[in-house]
Amino acid sequence: MNKDLSKVRNIGISAHIDSGKTTLTERILFYTKRIHAIHEVRGKDGVGAKMDSMELEKERGITIQSAATYCSWKSVDINIIDTPGHVDFTVEVERALRVLDGAVLVLCSVGGVQSQSITVNRQMTRYTVPRIAFINKCDRTGANPEKVTRQLREKLDLNAHMMQMPIGLESDLKGMIDLITMKAVYFEDPNGETIVEREIPAEYQAEAQSKRDALLEEVSMFSEELMEALLEGGDIDTRLIYDAVRKGTLTLEFTPVLMGSAYKNKGVQLLLDAVERFLPCPTDVVNMALDLKNEEKEFAVTNNPEDPLIMLAFKLEDGRYGQLTYTRTYQGKLSKGDTVFNSRTGKKTKIGRLCRMHSNEMEEIEACGSGDIVALFGVDCASGDTFTSEEISCSMTSMHIPEPVISLAVIPKDNKSQMNMSKALNRFTKEDPTFKTYVDHETGETIISGMGELHLEVYVERMKREYDAVVEVGAPQVAYRETISQKAAFSYTHKKQTGGSGQFGRVGGYMEPMDEGDYEFVDSIVGGVIPREFIGSCDKGFKKSLEKGSLCGASITGVRCVINDGAYHAVDSSDIAFQLAAIGAFKEGYLKAKPIILEPIMKVAVEGPTEFQGSVMGSINQRRGMIIGTTEEGSYSAVEAEVPLSEMFGYSTALRSLTQGKAEFTMEFASFKPVPKGVSEQLIKAYQDERKNA
Amino acid sequence: MENNELIVNNPLRALGLESKVDGGIQAMMGLVMARAGLGKTAILVQFALDCMLLGNKVLHVAIGEGVDKTRTWYDDILSLLTDGEKISSIPEIMKNRMIMTFKESSFSKALLEERLDDLVKQNIYKPECLIIDGYDFANNDKESLEGLRNFMNDRGLKMIWFSAVSHRDDKRVSLDGVPAPCHEVDSLFETVLLIKPVGDLMKLDILKCDSCKLDPGTTLMLDPSTMLIKKG
Repeated sequence: MNKDLSKVRNIGISAHIDSGKTTLTERILFYTKRIHAIHEVRGKDGVGAKMDSMELEKERGITIQSAATYCSWKSVDINIIDTPGHVDFTVEVERALRVLDGAVLVLCSVGGVQSQSITVNRQMTRYTVPRIAFINKCDRTGANPEKVTRQLREKLDLNAHMMQMPIGLESDLKGMIDLITMKAVYFEDPNGETIVEREIPAEYQAEAQSKRDALLEEVSMFSEELMEALLEGGDIDTRLIYDAVRKGTLTLEFTPVLMGSAYKNKGVQLLLDAVERFLPCPTDVVNMALDLKNEEKEFAVTNNPEDPLIMLAFKLEDGRYGQLTYTRTYQGKLSKGDTVFNSRTGKKTKIGRLCRMHSNEMEEIEACGSGDIVALFGVDCASGDTFTSEEISCSMTSMHIPEPVISLAVIPKDNKSQMNMSKALNRFTKEDPTFKTYVDHETGETIISGMGELHLEVYVERMKREYDAVVEVGAPQVAYRETISQKAAFSYTHKKQTGGSGQFGRVGGYMEPMDEGDYEFVDSIVGGVIPREFIGSCDKGFKKSLEKGSLCGASITGVRCVINDGAYHAVDSSDIAFQLAAIGAFKEGYLKAKPIILEPIMKVAVEGPTEFQGSVMGSINQRRGMIIGTTEEGSYSAVEAEVPLSEMFGYSTALRSLTQGKAEFTMEFASFKPVPKGVSEQLIKAYQDERKNA
Repeated sequence: MENNELIVNNPLRALGLESKVDGGIQAMMGLVMARAGLGKTAILVQFALDCMLLGNKVLHVAIGEGVDKTRTWYDDILSLLTDGEKISSIPEIMKNRMIMTFKESSFSKALLEERLDDLVKQNIYKPECLIIDGYDFANNDKESLEGLRNFMNDRGLKMIWFSAVSHRDDKRVSLDGVPAPCHEVDSLFETVLLIKPVGDLMKLDILKCDSCKLDPGTTLMLDPSTMLIKKG
């Protein structure tokens, strides 16, 4: 491993579903000699791509977990995290971006910038990740890298420019013209290992020259030296151009666009060169940590191996070697046998083994340092925890975690499955913060919740395969919420005198809607009408009331409870009496505060041929959707809408039949919004019936 | 802040054109002209917001712009109108807006008509006001524009606003002073406004206004930093 941090690249590969990023990663591993044979994603050879190590991933041809690997290209060491493309697994993409210094945004040369590319790009911008674009599948019919580059500019607002141009396209794709060296590059031998540089074919000369001129003019904005050299005329040193492109890329003001076909073994080595030349090394990026000893004040980590250790656990995995914790080191160094502190729990942990992961195989190492991505063995922690040396106490900035929007009941088939299921759920909730689980006290059922149907489906499948927990699943349920729509007063006395010691407590005040946050408790009691020791009991009582609303049994959010009056009895008042009084007061106020049901609204993007735009809009309209906009580009169009999640079940089947399977959709959580009156009445009735029958 | 207060400082009211949203025999066609980059979209979005606040559905057709960029215009102007205050009715008002974007090269009158029919006939969305930002006046003749107006009329549109780019070096103007490339089609428009920078000021000249309460030749002042019509 390189000690010189300028020779380290921590990169992610992100893209829309089926843009071919797993195939691309496979080729990268092949050309960097990490693997010695190429296996395809849905490989007929039965091996499957290296990075899709979970059985399920190989079967479905999609990447579910991001697997980390590393390789060396020329003089640099590259740590790669292969990230999933499906939006249900966005938290994986976000976690990867949090720890990476740069990224490759893979696009399909036919599909171009699709909905998921937009989401991924937004995430990259949120974490200020410099990126290069790779237009893949240039061998496919309809390939148009020019169009995709234009879309990068128009749809993603990136200052994207082609660094290459293809020699031939579709089935005629022969190689690339490098617009910086002005050479035609061909990839020979069956696996494209041998790169041959030749003169640019005469018919491409003029176009290549004009594209190079435009490119140089653009990148000269980032280098005065280059600008001067251009003004002076004559030969331009390629080093000057590379430096200018790198400068623009690092400041996110320029996005170099490369192209090729990973499947046909064309262009991948040039992409690796670009990763080396243009993407940042760990010291190029400023990462901030929170000083826990100084009111969480932000400070920049140093990357210095001599400074105290700061390390972030960004992913947990329960593999065949036991629990693995993937980490990124931001400063300091860690050797086998060292003791680290978990800044969340304050617990000390001795690090027994350190490994560099290569998908599901590992390589044991003695030490790691700043900029490294390695896995630790046998460390008890949660994803997102920060490990430090004893002398400092800090945490890396928190990650953005969305709320789950869908849930379903899981019922284990027998006792053995029950035990295995709890082990599995315990593991999954630690690994994935968007996956949550709880027991419904009324039905006794275990409920799992997450970010989409596929998200939960994958966990149910993993329970079966990895933990031998056979479970039956209920129908997916939308995670509704309840809230109040107006201010209402309450005054409730809890009095019980049926033998033994009595119970007495009165709680008075009001509740009001709150725009941000789930719940707030305000104590405005004066004159000791409720003694200090029972204030906390009131808060507890209100919190209990929030667990289940009376409209449809959903949890209550967005409520501020203010207590300003009350009464107590010197003998009969107790913690439980005031808790029950608060529960009674909440019930009283809640009904007066005009409660409403909120439902998750999803941002849905449907992309497909223009001829189906009318039917797609119709299908969204039928699902209570609100069309926000439509985009039309030649024969391809996209409809963007907000649709209630409850209406989206089975949409993939409906869309397939509407569009002859030619359109696809993605969705992600947008917000919670009140349900219409009719739906609200139905939900209330269903809940009442359920309670009657229980 | 109530919806009414938001409407007070808006251009439809400033020009006295609110009644036009209630509909007449023919759809009212308006035009906002300016040189490139002077804020035509900002004015169009203010007209659109006016219509939306008055309870009308708006279809915003952006030619050569993306959905996100167009939506940002609305968010920005609304935030300026409300001084950043959170108005509870805004999500409801936004249901009155749909954005439709086209690439310059793929936009045509026939395509827009087909899309509008998709919306209206399936009862998905029935707009009352139409904003067409980025229409290519230089390469479309009067007949095609007239056809578009008649089609919109038949579909129950009440108000249509266009934007057009004028060029400094093209000196052609109509009798009413409407600059090229719209000088030959100005008779189709009831209202024509021209944004003009004068020193540090930004003026909105009313070149033509058949049913405005203001006379042609009147100038409204715009706040150059926000492009909102100045109060008072």
